[in-house]
Amino acid sequence: MSVAGGCLLPICRGSDMAVLRPSSEHELAEMVRAAAADRHTLEIIGAGTKRALGRPVRADACLDLSALRGIISYDAEELVLCAASGTPLEEIAAELAAHRQCLGFDPADWGPLFGVPARGGTIGGALAADVSGSRRLLHGAAREHLLGIRAVNGWGKAYKAGGKVVKNVTGFDISKLMCGSLGILGPLSEVTLRLLPKPEHSACLVVRGLEPEQGLHLLGRIWREPLEASALVYLPNAVLEHFDLGGSGEAGLALLRVEGSTEALNDKRMRLRALLESLRVEELAHGDQLLTAAANGSVFASAALDVWRMTVPPSTSAEVAAALVGTLWYADWAGGLFWIATSRDTLSAAAGLERICARAQGQLQLLRADEGQRRGFPARPSGGQGVIQLMRTVKSAFDPLALFNPGRMYEGL
Amino acid sequence: MQLAPPDPSILARRDRIIADLQRLLPGAIVHEPAGLATYDSDALSAYRQRPLACALPANKDEVSTLLAYAAEQNLPVVPRGAGTSLSGGALPRPDGIVIGLARMNRILEIDLENRCAVVEPGVTNLAVTRAVEGDGFYYAPDPSSQVACTIGGNVAENSGGLHCLKYGITTNNLLGVELALPGGERVRLGGKALALGGLDLLGIVTGSEGLLGIAVEATLRLRPRPPVTRTLLVAFDTVAAAGRCVADIIGAGIIPAAMEFMDRRAADAVESYCAPGYPQHAEAILIIELDGVEGEVRDGVARVEHIAGTCGASLVRLAANEAERARIWAGRKAAFAATGKIAPDMLCMDGTIPRRALSDMLAAIAAMSARYGLAFCNVFHAGDGNLHPLILFDAMREGELARAEAFGAEILTLCVKMGGVLSGEHGIGVEKRDLMGAMFDEEDLAQQQRLKCAIDPKRLLNPDKVFPTLSACVEQGHMHVSGGRLPFANLPRF
Repeated sequence: MSVAGGCLLPICRGSDMAVLRPSSEHELAEMVRAAAADRHTLEIIGAGTKRALGRPVRADACLDLSALRGIISYDAEELVLCAASGTPLEEIAAELAAHRQCLGFDPADWGPLFGVPARGGTIGGALAADVSGSRRLLHGAAREHLLGIRAVNGWGKAYKAGGKVVKNVTGFDISKLMCGSLGILGPLSEVTLRLLPKPEHSACLVVRGLEPEQGLHLLGRIWREPLEASALVYLPNAVLEHFDLGGSGEAGLALLRVEGSTEALNDKRMRLRALLESLRVEELAHGDQLLTAAANGSVFASAALDVWRMTVPPSTSAEVAAALVGTLWYADWAGGLFWIATSRDTLSAAAGLERICARAQGQLQLLRADEGQRRGFPARPSGGQGVIQLMRTVKSAFDPLALFNPGRMYEGL
Repeated sequence: MQLAPPDPSILARRDRIIADLQRLLPGAIVHEPAGLATYDSDALSAYRQRPLACALPANKDEVSTLLAYAAEQNLPVVPRGAGTSLSGGALPRPDGIVIGLARMNRILEIDLENRCAVVEPGVTNLAVTRAVEGDGFYYAPDPSSQVACTIGGNVAENSGGLHCLKYGITTNNLLGVELALPGGERVRLGGKALALGGLDLLGIVTGSEGLLGIAVEATLRLRPRPPVTRTLLVAFDTVAAAGRCVADIIGAGIIPAAMEFMDRRAADAVESYCAPGYPQHAEAILIIELDGVEGEVRDGVARVEHIAGTCGASLVRLAANEAERARIWAGRKAAFAATGKIAPDMLCMDGTIPRRALSDMLAAIAAMSARYGLAFCNVFHAGDGNLHPLILFDAMREGELARAEAFGAEILTLCVKMGGVLSGEHGIGVEKRDLMGAMFDEEDLAQQQRLKCAIDPKRLLNPDKVFPTLSACVEQGHMHVSGGRLPFANLPRF
């Protein structure tokens, strides 16, 4: 067990917060019990790459899970992997790649967006922040791939939930609750994930010369076809210069990715071309890199802009795009996800975006802004007070003393 | 298994409660013995209890009204869809009311632009697909009872089906619910957008077996129907070879839409029941279905045929047309009913194991069978390791039911020991409740119960289910078939 007097990690530069760094679940539980006894609040971090995401936490100590590290079991034949929560995603990805497998939720890397080096995140952090990437459209979010967990609750008790097999309805599905929880229900110590075979081949097609309405409409049409497209992205003209796409022209473009065996791909290409009729379609060799850049939001990484994500029903995307005229944005998930960058004062931008979001019955998330602005942004879920109240109730079942990441999700939650 | 004893103070107020309910929901209360008999049990008919009354709300406000009244009166509430639960999820209490959602059966909206449908909880699973198939869409979860079972029940039980290997179970195909909480307050969780924001309450409610709330509306994900579906029948001389074939197919990166296993006993029983044309003398049969675009399926079929060959398959037959495909499936779907021809009674288990443990598990079941002196046959969803061993017995013979139940409990306990779980798709309910301790320790169960207590502090919603209230008095999980008659005998069972 290491308890440093001040934070020595680059992630908490300038802070004099105490750092707790358990090296086992047992130690983790002990530390939480001690914190509970002293009513000390804890900020939970993995590698800290997304520490500057959303609402900041003010806590008495930092609970650093990066020493809970390593793949505990990997059963390629079963497509199941179990790892300590602080295991670097890179380590997992490398191990899976050797067996031509991958994580189904296609985790994005938001590190550079927050000024930390790329490829630094942990599996626990990726799950807690639900950084589902472009393939989320096809294979679902982190929640769809987390089979089971071990965790420590606010009483300092270690428990498990879920299982290690792909089909399981035994007991409450607490694993789902952990995905996107931003750590407010407590630290995970171990996660079991279902894996997917890596697609044999993939083809990324680009359709140029599309105005937003046209482009978003096209994404929706393809999404409703049985093509199992694994990415459907629209980039308006204004963001094209940030992507390595060459002669961008006047309008925006759509990126479409299909995957499978050679034969499957040939068929999907044919169907796509039939669908796209007279539109000019070309195949991109570096499509995967572009789609990764889109999922990582790296387009907005270097500029001094606030960065938002808005999820909406895909049918509203053209309307949302029209309302966003004059703002930097692009769309992923067949028009179901908007990445937005604003340069104005955060809270006044928030007011405008919230109006657009409410009309579309969507969900707005502030990813990046100055700390003070992030603190002031009144994040809230769709569904109103009843939903927040239910979230509080659920939180109290895991963390009655409100020790974990206080205020990280919403005011008081 | 022991259920908590009824509260005598509620039983004493029976007449007043019924009068109150009739005042709150005129014309929608069933309380006469003849009418109530329908609600005595669900598809786990070994357990029966007469509820105090059954209320049949017509809309979500009436559900809230009932829940508010129940909270005020400390009245246990058991939600019920079509009553097809195989784990006793809708078993009533004598001191409680059943809320039957079957009258709330409207499809409220079909929104193909967003690939979703908004439905009331009493809509049947199959009705959703029926409503959208003309447009080339379908709702993927397909539990065997899909003609009868309701979406509300599917949400509560997180129902699976034959095709969940590729398309997931209910939780992976559910975008939102409106949930009535204990006390009657309603919240909207999720919606048509992909991400919800905040805690994934939808995720925890799905599969909570009616313990946390009642879904009064659901938004379901629709999928475009794949243009091509092909089905293969593959036979093996040994169970081990079939197991290896399953592992090799998954290992090769192929995810079939369905991959079903039957052992020789099951195949023989089915053959004499409905003659689907399965090969004679095969020790194991696999039904493998692939879907997608033409080239993808053609390629997949060729690869599966090759793998089956390398695993020593004695027969690999690709259904030439839709009629042949239907015949292959008809045999599989008749498996449960077919056991009625070879034994008067049957218990159906529902555990999941890692796929690789298949052969070991089958050998272990065979050894148990000898030890218990009871026959069995195996049908299961091989692709995801979800077993449905069927234990054959005769309840009229002294001690056989008890032996069959002990046999079943030993199988489920072994599932957990092999790294698996107690239930792959039927739920815990009352059936496997007392085996929860085999999989979860005290802390694990305590955490789940804290969640229950936080949301339903009076523990009025579906009491007696999921959590053992008494210390592990081992009762067993089973679906009881009496005299060869299944509950819901007309439904296909997979």
